Amino acid sequence: MIFENFEGFSASGFKPKVILIGSGPAGVTIARKLAAAGIPAAIFEAGQADFTEESQDFYKGTTVGDYYFDLDVARLRYFGGCSNHWAGWCRVMDAIDFEPKAWAPDTGWPIRRTDIEPYLNEVHDILDLVPFRDDVWISDDIRWVQLIKSPAVRFNEKYRAELEESKNIALVLDTYVTRLEGDGTKVTGAHVWSGGKDQGIATADFYIPCTGGLENSRLLLWSNEQSNGGVVPHAEALGKYWMEHPQFQGGNALMNDPDQFEMDAVSEAFFSPSIEAMQREQILNFGIRFIKMPYHGAKWLMAELACVAPDTAEWVSGGLGGNLRCAAQLMMGWEQAPRADNFVALSATEKDALGIPRIELHWKKSELEHRTLLQGLRLFGKTLAEKDYGRVRVEDWVLNNEPYPNDQELAGYHHMGGTRMGDDLSKSIVDRNQQVHGMANLYVGGSSVFTTSGQCNPTTTIVALSCRLGDHLAKRINQSAMAQ
Amino acid sequence: MAPTKTAPLATRRTILQALLSVPAFALFAAHATPSREQPADGLVEVNGWILKRSELA
Repeated sequence: MIFENFEGFSASGFKPKVILIGSGPAGVTIARKLAAAGIPAAIFEAGQADFTEESQDFYKGTTVGDYYFDLDVARLRYFGGCSNHWAGWCRVMDAIDFEPKAWAPDTGWPIRRTDIEPYLNEVHDILDLVPFRDDVWISDDIRWVQLIKSPAVRFNEKYRAELEESKNIALVLDTYVTRLEGDGTKVTGAHVWSGGKDQGIATADFYIPCTGGLENSRLLLWSNEQSNGGVVPHAEALGKYWMEHPQFQGGNALMNDPDQFEMDAVSEAFFSPSIEAMQREQILNFGIRFIKMPYHGAKWLMAELACVAPDTAEWVSGGLGGNLRCAAQLMMGWEQAPRADNFVALSATEKDALGIPRIELHWKKSELEHRTLLQGLRLFGKTLAEKDYGRVRVEDWVLNNEPYPNDQELAGYHHMGGTRMGDDLSKSIVDRNQQVHGMANLYVGGSSVFTTSGQCNPTTTIVALSCRLGDHLAKRINQSAMAQ
Repeated sequence: MAPTKTAPLATRRTILQALLSVPAFALFAAHATPSREQPADGLVEVNGWILKRSELA
């Protein structure tokens, strides 16, 4: 069932067991899992079926610290959420991403990759993925990894008909959950604004915010403030440990054989480090995107190499066949350290149209991240030189630790953390089942629960975690029903 | 010879990893070219280039 607004939903008499807030990949996936188990779920979507400027305005905010995208263009507030503009790049976080790292504080998830692997077949169906191939080691330090460029499933297109026909899912559009109400042990209701007016409080047995890696923090911060700590009783880490995937062109490469590595359809290949190299260099995970360069760039790079190593330049040019296809830009994206001083806060001055504080995002890249960028490029360059696959040149601004350029990709539009998963109540908000610490009926879905970011695009892991959460909650509800 | 990962200890995990890597190894071998004979010299960084010491101008 799909309702245009909350009034239509109320009139239908549909009684959800679970209220999900947000209709992006997490919300839709969890609802489908619950529905398959016979559990009625309502998805409250603040936006409409399609993009509107009025809805998008609620996402405006400010960033303090490093240069970042405008927050209202970094996400989408309508049915399907950010699946409406994602590029479809897919990879599951590595097993090493879940492990604690002694050289990086506050790393290590309470779950391991094996906990989400049982759901990967479902994830492939949901995201229309081909099977992943194994990583290929090109040296002890570097692996050639696969990042699937999928068709970029738009959840509002792929699942609209299924939701319309579903008897167990009610998608309710134009329904903004302005805040949750709680008593410190459980959520007692969701305040709803729809059709241009206050619609009172909606209730269910369970509540799951799935509003994205920025908005989940905002909703819970505001709800907690209005409930005197009744929604997130252990709130020390709320909004904190926010993470992105910084992305910059950190260097170039010349390859002896342009066909050395099998490129994807847009002439790109991806490389990541071994855990041993990360430990030795005291860095975090990264992904080097190897992008073939146009002719003029290759020519310039070859001339540069000829100045310092003429024989090598001649050797490389010999492999070109005169067409200079083998030069590449090295686009580096990397894991950002989880730090409490990168956080989502409520603005003291800026409010949305309903008077709810906008987001003030505090975000800076740390010294550990610069080391990951520089040493990662050096590791890749060392592998290419030692194996004679080619040669790497690191950009001057990276070598000299100059400010990050503002005219590059900057980051991945990947919003992670803020309600991170953990066992330590002072450094996490949800437990290993994504249930808010101390709250009997409140869970959180989406990338805000990521304990660390890994280096890969987050959607595949979001969907896997959502399948797992859907399964967990379905079992809990059905076991509870059987016990009664 | 295409490169593959070697581990200092042949633990059960590394053996399993080696077995799992076989299809990918074959994929890589199809695209790898033989390396030039490697001089036994170290690497240096010149103007940002990561090079072998022996190839400096």
